[in-house]
Amino acid sequence: MAYSEKVIDHYNNPRNMGSFKKDEDGVGTGIVGAPECGDVMKLQIKVEKDTIVDAKFKTFGCGSAIASSSLATEWLKGKTVDEAGRIKNTEIVQELNLPPVKIHCSVLAEDAIKAALNDYKKKGETEGQAEEVATPV
Amino acid sequence: MSEHTRQLDSGRPRDLPMARSMCWHCQSEMTGEYFCGRCVKVQPLSKELDYFTCLNLPRKLNLDEQALEETFYALSRNFHPDYYATKDEGEKAISLGNTALLNTAYRTLKDPVQRAEYLIRLEAGSAKDIRTSPPADLFDEILELQEDLEEFRSLSAGESVERRQELLEKLQAERQALETRKAHMEERLREQFSRWDALPGEAEGAAAAQAQKDAVLTGMQEILSNRTYVKNIVNDLVAATSPAGDTERNIWH
Repeated sequence: MAYSEKVIDHYNNPRNMGSFKKDEDGVGTGIVGAPECGDVMKLQIKVEKDTIVDAKFKTFGCGSAIASSSLATEWLKGKTVDEAGRIKNTEIVQELNLPPVKIHCSVLAEDAIKAALNDYKKKGETEGQAEEVATPV
Repeated sequence: MSEHTRQLDSGRPRDLPMARSMCWHCQSEMTGEYFCGRCVKVQPLSKELDYFTCLNLPRKLNLDEQALEETFYALSRNFHPDYYATKDEGEKAISLGNTALLNTAYRTLKDPVQRAEYLIRLEAGSAKDIRTSPPADLFDEILELQEDLEEFRSLSAGESVERRQELLEKLQAERQALETRKAHMEERLREQFSRWDALPGEAEGAAAAQAQKDAVLTGMQEILSNRTYVKNIVNDLVAATSPAGDTERNIWH
């Protein structure tokens, strides 16, 4: 089995690798893991006026998991919080041409996005500055 | 009569689900034997056969390892492709298929972790359907360690000798601590094995029995998941800090 060129490109040149401070304003952090393979993924978003202005990730796992999260951060930038919540793992599978055994990597990326968005929304609530909180996922 | 047919006759009686109720070769009726009573051709095992049944073991987790070995060798003697080298293509294919199933069953049940994972899959459909809470502290710890590991890998042996040494010592200590933790998890897994084996049979109070079963399965799944994370980071630590070290990282895993 060979990885698609897009996976290898993201693996060799990951986009937006790094992290923000968790307690920074407007930052949402999602940390998720895949129990089947033991991969761990951290994905963070930075939101200003309901729009994601920046996103970063750190993933420890296989090439597909790194590529999935790298791609996710690219897609997240410029999206509103609601739009980001609609990113589906199947779109990642399609874009990266992931084989069936690697689909769980894309699921992990979708979970990480959701976790980051939830964290962002939760922070907003506790600070009492949440505008309308979208329906819980 | 060939040697392996005699072997079977002298072995303990068995009753495995076979793939067909009729001999594939002479079409005579079959009642679950490995060899057709009329034409003595080997018969295919059912693909649906679960590994415990295949190896004649109860669905328990602390299994009788000697019985496992004995049954495996006895069945291997019935099906091994070496005995079919001079037979026709149909028999060769069946011998290969049966042996492959038998080998997978044996390998899976022999290893306690794979055995537990397999049982969970059997009992719960898919292990993925059991939702366990993600170990948040463990994730934080892993991410932090991985960052130290990255830094350690990025420092080549020649430069920053002090920082490198400092990191190496820290990583080695962490590795030891994690290995202890992994051993502890394996102990807890064994406890769940005993709990599973002690569960009452199906007959008594179906709903309550199912709830008990689910509790043990979930408990096991949780330990197994956390163990996988720890195992991965330990492997990374070993690869980076062992003297041979600096082995090429594998992106294909």
